[in-house]
Amino acid sequence: MNALSPSTHLLLVIAAPLIGAIVAWLFRSWGLAAVRQSAANTAIVTLVLAGWLVVRFLSDPAAMAGEPYGLVEFPWLVGGIFDVKLSLGLDGLSIWMFALSALLSITAVFVSWDAIRDRPAGFYVLLLVLEAAMLGVFAARDVILFYVFFEFTLVPLFFLIGIWGHDERRKAAVKFFIYTLAGSVLTFLGLLAIILWNASHTGTVTFDIAALTAAMKAHPMPMDAGGGWLQLIVFLALLAGFAVKVPIVPLHTWLPLAHVEAPTGGSVDLAGVLLKIGIYGFLRFSLPMLPEASALAAPWLFGLGVVGIIYGALVALVQTDLKRLIAYSSVSHMGYIVMGLFALTPVATEGANLQLINHGLSSAGLFALVGMIYERFHTRNIASLGGIASRAPWLTVFFMLFTFSSIGLPGLNGFVGEFMILAGSFQRAWSGVAPSFSFAYLLMAVTAVVGVVLGAWYMLWAVERAFFGPSREPPRSGHDGHDGHGHADRCDLKWHELVALAPLAVFVLWIGLTPATFLRPAAPAIRAATQASADAFAARMRDATPTAQPIARTAQLP
Amino acid sequence: MSPATLLVLVPLLPLVGAILTVALGRRLGSRGHLPAIAGIAAAAVVAVSLLLGLGREVGIGDAAHAPTARPVEMITTLWEWAGVDAAYSPPAGSPAAADTARADGATDLRSFSIPVALRLDPLTSTLLTIITCVGLLVAIYSIGYMHDDPGYPRFFALLAMFVFSMSMLVAASNFLLVYVFWEAVGACSYLLIGFWFTKPEAARAAKKAFLVNRVGDFGLAVATFLLWMTYGTLNFHDTLSADGTILPGILGQSRIADAAGYVGGAVGTAICLLLLLAACGKSAQLPLHVWLPDAMEGPTPASALIHAATMVTAGIYLVARCAPLFVVCPDALTMVSIVGTTTALVAALIGTVQNDLKRVLAYSTISQLGYMFASLGTGTMLGFTAAIFHLVTHAFFKALLFLGAGSVMHSMGGVIDMRRFGGLRRLMPITAATFLIGSLALAGVAPFAGFFSKDEILAALHSKGWPDAHGEHHDTAPASGHAAVRLPAADSGPNTAPASTMHFVSMKTAAAADAPVLDRPRTWQTLFWMSLITAGLTAFYTFRAVFMTFTGPLRVPDEAGHHAHESPPVMTIPLVILAVASAVSGWWLFATHSLSTFLAATPSLTAPAVTATATPPAFHFDLALQGTLAAALGIAIAAVGHLGRRSDGPQIERFLGPIGTLFANRFFIDQLYKALIVKPLEGVALVAAAFDRYVIDGLVDGVARIPLALGAWARHLQSGLVQRYALVGVLGTLLIMLALAARLR
Repeated sequence: MNALSPSTHLLLVIAAPLIGAIVAWLFRSWGLAAVRQSAANTAIVTLVLAGWLVVRFLSDPAAMAGEPYGLVEFPWLVGGIFDVKLSLGLDGLSIWMFALSALLSITAVFVSWDAIRDRPAGFYVLLLVLEAAMLGVFAARDVILFYVFFEFTLVPLFFLIGIWGHDERRKAAVKFFIYTLAGSVLTFLGLLAIILWNASHTGTVTFDIAALTAAMKAHPMPMDAGGGWLQLIVFLALLAGFAVKVPIVPLHTWLPLAHVEAPTGGSVDLAGVLLKIGIYGFLRFSLPMLPEASALAAPWLFGLGVVGIIYGALVALVQTDLKRLIAYSSVSHMGYIVMGLFALTPVATEGANLQLINHGLSSAGLFALVGMIYERFHTRNIASLGGIASRAPWLTVFFMLFTFSSIGLPGLNGFVGEFMILAGSFQRAWSGVAPSFSFAYLLMAVTAVVGVVLGAWYMLWAVERAFFGPSREPPRSGHDGHDGHGHADRCDLKWHELVALAPLAVFVLWIGLTPATFLRPAAPAIRAATQASADAFAARMRDATPTAQPIARTAQLP
Repeated sequence: MSPATLLVLVPLLPLVGAILTVALGRRLGSRGHLPAIAGIAAAAVVAVSLLLGLGREVGIGDAAHAPTARPVEMITTLWEWAGVDAAYSPPAGSPAAADTARADGATDLRSFSIPVALRLDPLTSTLLTIITCVGLLVAIYSIGYMHDDPGYPRFFALLAMFVFSMSMLVAASNFLLVYVFWEAVGACSYLLIGFWFTKPEAARAAKKAFLVNRVGDFGLAVATFLLWMTYGTLNFHDTLSADGTILPGILGQSRIADAAGYVGGAVGTAICLLLLLAACGKSAQLPLHVWLPDAMEGPTPASALIHAATMVTAGIYLVARCAPLFVVCPDALTMVSIVGTTTALVAALIGTVQNDLKRVLAYSTISQLGYMFASLGTGTMLGFTAAIFHLVTHAFFKALLFLGAGSVMHSMGGVIDMRRFGGLRRLMPITAATFLIGSLALAGVAPFAGFFSKDEILAALHSKGWPDAHGEHHDTAPASGHAAVRLPAADSGPNTAPASTMHFVSMKTAAAADAPVLDRPRTWQTLFWMSLITAGLTAFYTFRAVFMTFTGPLRVPDEAGHHAHESPPVMTIPLVILAVASAVSGWWLFATHSLSTFLAATPSLTAPAVTATATPPAFHFDLALQGTLAAALGIAIAAVGHLGRRSDGPQIERFLGPIGTLFANRFFIDQLYKALIVKPLEGVALVAAAFDRYVIDGLVDGVARIPLALGAWARHLQSGLVQRYALVGVLGTLLIMLALAARLR
C-alpha cells in the first residue's frame, strides 16, 4: 500500500473524476444507462480513493499536527525573481471539505439517476468536471491553482443550471454567474495585490499560499492613513468575492433563485460544497494574511452573521416553495458560520469549521429530498403537498433526520457546530471585548440563540404541512405510467435514492456522536489560521479599554 | 458487574431495544413490542439493583449504623465527546479563575472539554428507578392499548428511545450532556405527540410542544454558556487535571464544600432564572405550560409516561440538581416557588371546567408539577426532598390515572369527553377501582401516597412563612431555614467580580445579593395559602372527573361498539400494580424516611446552605388537618354537583358565570400568545420577505442594469457615420496633445 505515495494518491483523486468524465463522454452514444452507470462508478471510485487518502492523512502524525500532506509541486516558472510553482496538498483546513466534495458527488449522481433523461452525457460530464474542480479548489496550495479551480466550479454549474434547470433557469444561471464572477474578479485583484506586495518586499514573485502567508506576517500591509489603508482595501476586495459566495446578507439573493432553478444534483453540490468556498477563503487568505483588517472588520461581520441568522430564518418562515425555504435556511445557517468565524475564539472557529461540513451534509440531504418529492408530486409548493409521511415513510424518516440535523438537535451533527459557535461567541461577548463593545456583543450572541428557536419553527412548520396531516393528492404526472392510482399510493425511496441519502445520514450520526474525531484533525490548522487575527483583535480591544482593566488573554498555541 | 457497567446498561438496554425494533421492523409482526419491552425490563432490573446497592452504601435499613450524611456519587466517563485545547482563560474574579490561579498570579488557559460522563448518586438512582419501572408498566399496558395500530413497532421503538434519553438525562454528569438529552426527550415527545400524524391536530400539537420547549431550551443554552464562563467547566463532577490537582466541577463535592464556591448576585441570579426558564418549558410551568394540554393528542400511554410521570419532571430534576446554584440566590429561589405556586393554582382553576378526561389530568399534572416547584423554591432540605418525594408518588398515581383514562378511552371507542359517558363502574370495575385509588392519592386523602408528599410540601412552605412557629412546632434545633439560606449569599457577594457582573447591571434580573426582594415571610405566607386552596381545587376537579365518569346511570357512546367492556388483563394488571404503589408508597416512604435519608446523600443536597436547614423528619399534624379539610371540602362540592348524576347535566361553569368562561378558555393565554408573538412575528417575516424580494434583489437587478444602460447609451455612439468617428478621433488627439502640453510647460 505504501507503493502509492501520498502525492500520487492526491493527484489520482483529483484526476479520477476527469478520467471518468472522458469515459462518460465516450459512452454517450450507448444511452442513458451506460452514461449514468459510468458516472456512478467514477464517483464511487473517487470516494473510495478520497476516503482512503483521508484515512492515511489521519494516521500521519505530521499531518495531524498541522503539516500539509501529500504535497505536489510542479515548477512552472522558476528562476530569477520568479518562483512560480503549481502545488497541491491537503491540510487540516481542507481535509474535511475535500472529503465532503467526494461524498456529495455520490449524492449528486444518484439523485440525478431518474431525473436527468435529456442529454445525460453532457450532464454527467459536467457533474464530474465540477467534482474535480471542487476537489482541486480545496487541494490547491498556490493562488493560481486555487483561482483556476475556483472559476472552474462556476462554469460547469452555470451550464448545469442553464440547461437542466427549471423554468427560469436562464435567468438564474446568468444571475448566479455574473454575481459570483463580479465578486471573484475583485477577489482576484486582492490576491494580485498580495502577490505584488510580497514581490516588492521579498524580491520574489511567488504564488505559494504558505510563502505568501509567511511574508504577510513578516511584512504586514499598512493599516493606517499613511499607508493608504492598503490592508483594509485588500481585505474588502477579498471580501467581495467570498461574501457573495457564502453568501453574507445582503449579497445573498442569487442563492434562492439559483437553488430553485438548479437541477437537484446541482443544488446538492452548490449548497453542500460551493457555498463553503467563501468561508474557506476567509480561513485561507483573509484571516492569516490580513489580521489587522480582519480584526477591524470582525465586529461588523459578526453582526452581519447574526443579521443573516435572523433574517434568513424570518424570510424562510413565509416561503411557500419548499426548495426556496431550504435555500433561505442555508442563508440563516451560513450566518452562524460567519458569526463563529469572526468571533475569533478557538471554540467558535473550530465550531464554524465543523459546521461547514454539517451544513454541507444536512442541506445537501434536504435538497436531494426536495428533488425526490418534486419527482413524485411535480410540485414543491408546501400548500399543495401534505401527508407525504403516509405515502413515503422512509423518505419522511430521512427528511426528519436532516431536519433535526439542520435545527441542531443534539446527538446529530448540526448541534455540535451550532453549540460551539454559540458558546465561543458567548465567550467572546462575555470576556473578550472592550467594555464599550460588551453590550452589543452580548446582545448579538443572545439574538443568535433566538435564531435557534426560529430555525425549529420554520423547519417543523414545513414538515407539519408537507409531511403530516391527511394524505393529499397533488397534481399528478402524466407520463409516470407504472405509478398506481388513488391516495394510498406508496411511493417510497427507490434504491438509488437510498444510495444517495444513506452516506449522508451515516455522517450526520457519526459527527453527532463523536465530534472530537472530526475536530481534532482540523484544530491545529484552524488555530494557526486564526491566531494572527485573534491577536490583532485582542490588541484592538486592549486599545479600546479605557483603564488598565485586564482583558482576558486570547488563547495561544501551547 | 461493576456499578459503572450497570449504570451504562440502564440507558443502553432500552437503546438496543429501540434499534432492534427499527432494524427488525415489520418482520416482528405482532411481536413488535418484544425488543423494546425486553430492553426496558432489563433496564428496570438493573436500575433497581443499583438503587438497592446505593441504598446499602448510604446506610438505609441498616439499624446498626446511622445513615451518613456524606455525599455518595460515582462517575464513569465513556469518551470525549468534543474538545478544544487551551480554549479559554477565565474572566478575572470568576471562581474558574481562582481554580486555575498559578503561583505567579496569572491564570492558565483551560480546555473546552466535554466528556460523555454518567453519574450515579441517590437522586439519579431514584429517578432511574422511576423511569424504568413506570416505563415498563406503561410499555406492557401498551401491548393491549396499541394492539391494532398500524404503527405498532414504531410506537415501541419511540417508547424505548424515550426511556434511553430520559435515563441519560438524569444520569448525565455534564451540563452539555443534560442539554443534549433535554432536547432528545423533547424530540421523542415530539414524535410521540405526532404519532398519529395524519390527524392535523396531532401534527400541530407536536410542533407546538417542540417550539415551546425550544423557548425553554434557549434558557438552558444561555445558562450553560454563563456557567461555562463562570465556572470554567460544564462538568458536574470534579476532575483531576494533568498535574494531579482537582479541578472542581460545577456541582462537584469540592466546590459544594467550599463556602465561597458559588457566585450569587446578578450573574448567579441570571443563571438560576435561565435554568428556571428551561425548567418551565420542560415541566410546563407558566408561562410555557401551553404545550402540555395539546400534547394529549398523542397516544395515552405516551401521555402517561412522558407527559405525566417522567419527562415533565425533568425541570424538577434540574432545579434539584442545581440546588447549590440556587441556594445562593434567594430571590431566584423564591421565584421558583412563585412560578410553581401560581402555576399550581391557575392550572387547577382551568382543570375544574375541563370536560375532556385527559385534559383534566393534563392540567392536574401542570398543577402538581407546580407544587413540586413550590417545594423546591423553599431551598430547604425538607423542600428539596419533599419535591422529589412528590415526584415519585405523582409518577405512580398520575401514570395510573392516565392509564385508567386510556382504559376508558379504549373501551369507549376513542371518546374521551366525560359528558358522553357515565356510570362506567359497572362496566369496568377494575378500571374504576384503580382510578378511584389514584384519585384519592391525587386529592391527598390519607393514607394514600399524595397525602404524605403533599403534606411535606405544605410543611416546607409553612416553615418559610412562619419560621419561628415552625421551629417551636417541631421542637428542633433553632436552625431556621430562612437565615441559613441567606448566609452564603452574603458570603458570595465579594466573590462576584465586577468584571463579570457588569453585563447584567442594566437588566431587570439584577438583584443585590444581600437584600432579597422577594424572599420575605409575607411572600411565603401567601404562597402557602395559595397551595392550600390548590389542594382543595385538586380534590374537586379529580372527584368531579371520577363522579362524571364512573357514577350515575350507565351511558356509553355509539363509537364504543363492541369495545364497551373492561380492558384485557395486559392493561389492567399494570393498573393494579400502580394502584398498589399509589396506595402504599407514600406511607411506606414516609414512615421509614428512607427516601429523604437516601436523597440527603446526593452531593447537590450536601451544600452547607441546604444541610443547615435539615430538620428531623416529623409528621405535621396541623398541616395535615388543614390539607385534609381542603381535600374533603373539594370532594364534598364535587359530590354535590356530580355524584350519581348524569354527566351531561349542568356544568360547573354555569355557576361561575364570566369567571367560568375565563377558566374554560384557559385564561386566554393561547390567544394572547397568538396575538402578541406568533402573528406579529409572521408579519415581520412577511415584511422581511417582501423587503428581500423588492428592495435587496431589486437593488441587485438595478445594479445589473447599469452596464446594460451604459451599453444602450454607448450604442448611440456607434452610429456607423465615419464623419462622427473622425470627429471623435480628432477631439481625442487634441485632448492628448493638450495634456502633453500641460506636462511640458
